Amino acid sequence: MGLASVNTVIEDMQICIFDLRRGQEEGRELDKILFFFPADSPSSKKLSVIGLGEGLIAFTRIFSPEAACEVIEAERHSHVFYEAEPDIWMVMMIEKSVESEATWRIDALREILQEVHSLFMMFHGSIRAMLENEPTGGLVRSHLYPFIMDYLSDFLVGKKLHLPSFRDCLTRRRTVQMLTVGREAAIEVQLLVRILESCAGTTPCHSLILFQDLLVSTTISADDTINLFAYSVLRLTPRALSSGVSSWSYLLKGNTVSHIAAASTLAHYGSASEHLFHSHGNSPGQDSSYNVKRPLWHDKWSKGKDGFLVTDVWGREMDSMISATPTIWLQETEEKVYLCAYQYRGLTLIILIPVSSISNGEQGVSLLKRQVLENASLKILKVEEKLSKGWGGENAYHVKGYRYLLVDDDRNTSRASPPVKASTLTKESLLAMSKLREEVDLEKRRGKLDSTDHKKNLEICIRAKNNAWVIAHTMRGKELYMVLEKANETLLYASDAVEKFSNGYCGGTFSLD
Amino acid sequence: MSGKASSSQHTVGFSGSGGLSHVYIQYPPLRCRIPGSRGLYYDDGSKLLLGPTSNQVFSWKTVPFDPHVAPTSDSISEGPILSIRYSLDAKFIAIQRSSQEIQIWHRETGETFSHKCRSESESILGFFWTDCPLCDFVLVKTSGLDLLACDYESKLLDLVETRRLNVSWYVYTHESRLVLLASGMQCKTFTGFQLSSAGIVRLPRFEMAMAKSEANSKPVLAAEDIYIVTVYGRIYCMQIDRVAMLLHSYRFYRDAVVQQGSMPVYSSKIAVSVVDNVLLVHQVDAKVVILYDIFADSRAPISAPLPLLFRGFPRSNTSSSRFSGKDGESAEANISDHEAIIYGDDWTFLVPDLICDVANNFLWKIHLDLEAISASSSEVPSVLEFLQRRKLEANKAKQLCLAITRTVILERRPVSMVARVIDVLVSNYSYSIKTGSYLKGIKVERTSISSGAHVNSPRSSANISASGIDALGKSYEHEPSARVENESLNRSSNISTSDSEDEAHFESLKNTTTSLQKLDRENILGAESASNEAQPSSSQSQHPGLNNNPLNASVSERQELQLASPAISPDEMYSFVFAPVEEEMVGDPSYLVAIIVEFLRSTNLEKIKVHPNLYVLTIQLLARNERYTELTLFIINKVLEPSKEVAMQLLESGRQNFQIRKLGLDMVRHLSLHHDYVVLLVQDGYYLEALRYARKHKVTTVRPSLFLEAALASNDSQLLAAVLRFFSDFIPGFRNTSDHHTYHRILSEMNSAIAT
Repeated sequence: MGLASVNTVIEDMQICIFDLRRGQEEGRELDKILFFFPADSPSSKKLSVIGLGEGLIAFTRIFSPEAACEVIEAERHSHVFYEAEPDIWMVMMIEKSVESEATWRIDALREILQEVHSLFMMFHGSIRAMLENEPTGGLVRSHLYPFIMDYLSDFLVGKKLHLPSFRDCLTRRRTVQMLTVGREAAIEVQLLVRILESCAGTTPCHSLILFQDLLVSTTISADDTINLFAYSVLRLTPRALSSGVSSWSYLLKGNTVSHIAAASTLAHYGSASEHLFHSHGNSPGQDSSYNVKRPLWHDKWSKGKDGFLVTDVWGREMDSMISATPTIWLQETEEKVYLCAYQYRGLTLIILIPVSSISNGEQGVSLLKRQVLENASLKILKVEEKLSKGWGGENAYHVKGYRYLLVDDDRNTSRASPPVKASTLTKESLLAMSKLREEVDLEKRRGKLDSTDHKKNLEICIRAKNNAWVIAHTMRGKELYMVLEKANETLLYASDAVEKFSNGYCGGTFSLD
Repeated sequence: MSGKASSSQHTVGFSGSGGLSHVYIQYPPLRCRIPGSRGLYYDDGSKLLLGPTSNQVFSWKTVPFDPHVAPTSDSISEGPILSIRYSLDAKFIAIQRSSQEIQIWHRETGETFSHKCRSESESILGFFWTDCPLCDFVLVKTSGLDLLACDYESKLLDLVETRRLNVSWYVYTHESRLVLLASGMQCKTFTGFQLSSAGIVRLPRFEMAMAKSEANSKPVLAAEDIYIVTVYGRIYCMQIDRVAMLLHSYRFYRDAVVQQGSMPVYSSKIAVSVVDNVLLVHQVDAKVVILYDIFADSRAPISAPLPLLFRGFPRSNTSSSRFSGKDGESAEANISDHEAIIYGDDWTFLVPDLICDVANNFLWKIHLDLEAISASSSEVPSVLEFLQRRKLEANKAKQLCLAITRTVILERRPVSMVARVIDVLVSNYSYSIKTGSYLKGIKVERTSISSGAHVNSPRSSANISASGIDALGKSYEHEPSARVENESLNRSSNISTSDSEDEAHFESLKNTTTSLQKLDRENILGAESASNEAQPSSSQSQHPGLNNNPLNASVSERQELQLASPAISPDEMYSFVFAPVEEEMVGDPSYLVAIIVEFLRSTNLEKIKVHPNLYVLTIQLLARNERYTELTLFIINKVLEPSKEVAMQLLESGRQNFQIRKLGLDMVRHLSLHHDYVVLLVQDGYYLEALRYARKHKVTTVRPSLFLEAALASNDSQLLAAVLRFFSDFIPGFRNTSDHHTYHRILSEMNSAIAT
């Protein structure tokens, strides 16, 4: 245990966040850096990484002011760029490994940057606002560092960071996985939503309902739903609570490689990062005066006696043992809301109460929680019963013979073969699919640049080296990726298979001709 | 016996006084004064009020109740009249001339014949006509029952069967087809027979409970203390225990008589009526009436005891001037004050809902004031349950239910409470669909039967002998259907078996009638409500001052419909509850959406289809408030079921939100509305896709020019060429159309322009 080991783990990757508006004078270049991982890299290294990024951004902006640099493919490194906020850039450098295990899909990496930033925004507001609030940058640095470290710890497998690779080609981050429910159950769910909505009196409360790791209902905007769903699956759902890390959700954990090992190393890593955070904090003004909340800190949520989930991450009320209720920002309405999570068996309810509607702080919140229990507990029982009755288990959405990923870009939802099934595919198939997705990503980006409303329809069937069919099909905002191994060799067979799947599971979306 | 003068006058609760009441009688009464009258007799078999004179019988139809009905008359021979009844087919009149003799009168020919008791030791207690297949005529004697068949050819009443037993007195109602024979020292031992069209059922002998006042005194049960009551197709017997001041109830099953419970009484004189399956216990001395709805097991009264109201009495010298002039009757109305006596000594209560004022020769019909009853309780779901069970004034009950539902929603009462209200309405609708009464009601409403045999209310019994207006006669109705209707009704009130208590009514229907007969029965009920409906509704519009209940503000408007059942269909829920409420409600739609979801839950539970308009309304509500995420979930989870209306509304609301539009598009495709889908695709600019779709689904209704114009508008010669080529291949003969020529020329011009 120690820094050395930590360093070896993360050697092949750097992440940095910098602000183009800061540190413009010579000698103050370090001021630009808001976050750098690994934190103990020498300043020269940091500066060279940022300098390259900054230069490329400035250069590419000449040609494309709106969407500057997205990616640099160097011989040994890939640089993934993401402009999180105006002039605030996140860059991930990743070493191309000789072993093909480390074949990334650029968009998957960018989605990580996007996700960590969105989550950060949800809990702390925008980076820019924090910088304006405290121009020295100490505040934002002290928040970013633990936040991102906590986030990255989820990718730690053994002693290695496992970023999404080709093995995760049948998943899509930044989408929501929905539970398919029957009409009767859906009506019950809606009734519960109505009860939750009215629980704070006149101000309507928003809510999210999850069953296991799947979304059942939401009343907030799509972007907020994605963030809160991601957070719930990471930290709040029964699975997240019980294991601390492992989620069967194929998206967030990808390969189900040795969770136990991961969990055990995590503590180790956690403490290591803790250590790193305190002793090697690169940020000036790193001191305890900042009240830093770490919402992604592992194992900080637990189920209370009343069924509500509690955490002390947000600190405690003065002179009391009551943990403060977490608050988050909703992007769409720019509203600050209390986050109350209630759990009953597989069911997780997230109730978002506008802070403005509660005058007396924690007291008001706990009163409201009691009210929710009084009004809704019967309905909660009923909904849980209905949903668990109709639930097919982890492999409910497995379709025999198919390994697929179905994405609805408009609604930001996805559905895929369960990870257990997807992992049975051969490496060749997975690599081929990963490549195909890269192509489709590119095509989509081009379509976006064309700025036509019409999303292109695309149909690609590839016969991979191992004689598997690798298929991508996009149709007006919906995407279907599919791997058929041990399949017949004719193209007709492949398109028939798509047709069949489309009619059976996507309401015929992909079977127009 | 019938003409007791009353010295004490009680004038209670005139309509003008606005007294609180749940039950009323409506002015004017049916006047049955004829010179030389020898008393009034009520024949519950033929539903006629009979007034014999020395050589004539006047008869007034009481169903439907029309105060201005003209009597018809039959000539009879002179002689004493103890009792008189018309046969059920209205061909004969039977008159009891003495305790030994019955005279039968054939109405068409005027021929008569007599039937006498064989021995002097027995005397006739009474008689009635029956539709039992075994016999036509039942004679109740002190020595038992004689079942007789009427043989007109040989001018005889043939004895079919005799049941020997000692009878002190008897009670019979045609409605229940049940005759109860009292025997024993205290007259509390009873033997019962049901003479239904299914045959004769002998009930087990049973004893009624009677409290003793002192050790040695044994009270004797009198005929006027016993009432046979038919409620919801079940037969009960109400027994007044004067010592205990209790009204005991017994329910008759095929194989048992079960005591059901007791209600307190507050008067030495008690009378029982049934109006629309509601039991009215008149506390005559206290001049109040208590209402019971003995549908459930509860023996609690519906509401507090309140007086019987006298409505519509024209009094020009009182403050109720609003009645004068409006009532067409006021010119001839010359009822003096004393005629408005409520619960006078001369009142005789007839089965089931008539009151005969013997002194004045008036016949009143008792009505329920549904508004007042519904206004008196704050427990809305139970009020609705009560209203939903009303058949007689089904339309009024229905309008009240709708108004109450609207009110609770507009008042934003708790969702859980509104949910219970909705459950009551939906489950009643579902029930009425299952039993067919809802559809039958609609049918009746359309054909608007205004006359017909109304068999719903007969009863003659204890108060026959008590009041002495027992009567017999012949109906004037000659409709062939009358018999059938009688039969089916009779079956519906068969004594049920005890193992199917609550469903007994329908159980017996199921057992004994075909669905056709069921239909008949429902028609009867429907027709009856139709004919009875006219009165209360007209009274309501005449006397708006009576409507002190805010709920019925809009009730009187929609009363043209005549219904058999107050059940409310989802369509009506939409048109009369959700749509108007939505218009009136302002602000956040969450509450209304919650109510609608409750309604959907309820209908889903009962497997009832919901009107697409309600879905459309929900979409509008959500879209108007930009709650697109929720709307999407509603659609995807099919909480709002797909239909063309829903799809079109989604497309409409999708103008603001592209995703919603897509949902609409998808729905159009799923519903296989091929034509619409192709047109929508073209609108969105997906020409080639539209063409492919058109080819696949053989959509030929979309004009080629639509595509061609669109392709031309895109200014893309390749696209235009593709479209043109498609139609040339796809539609035979397209090459010869003007479209082809036009666009072919345009295309070549475009190409040449490019070339140059």
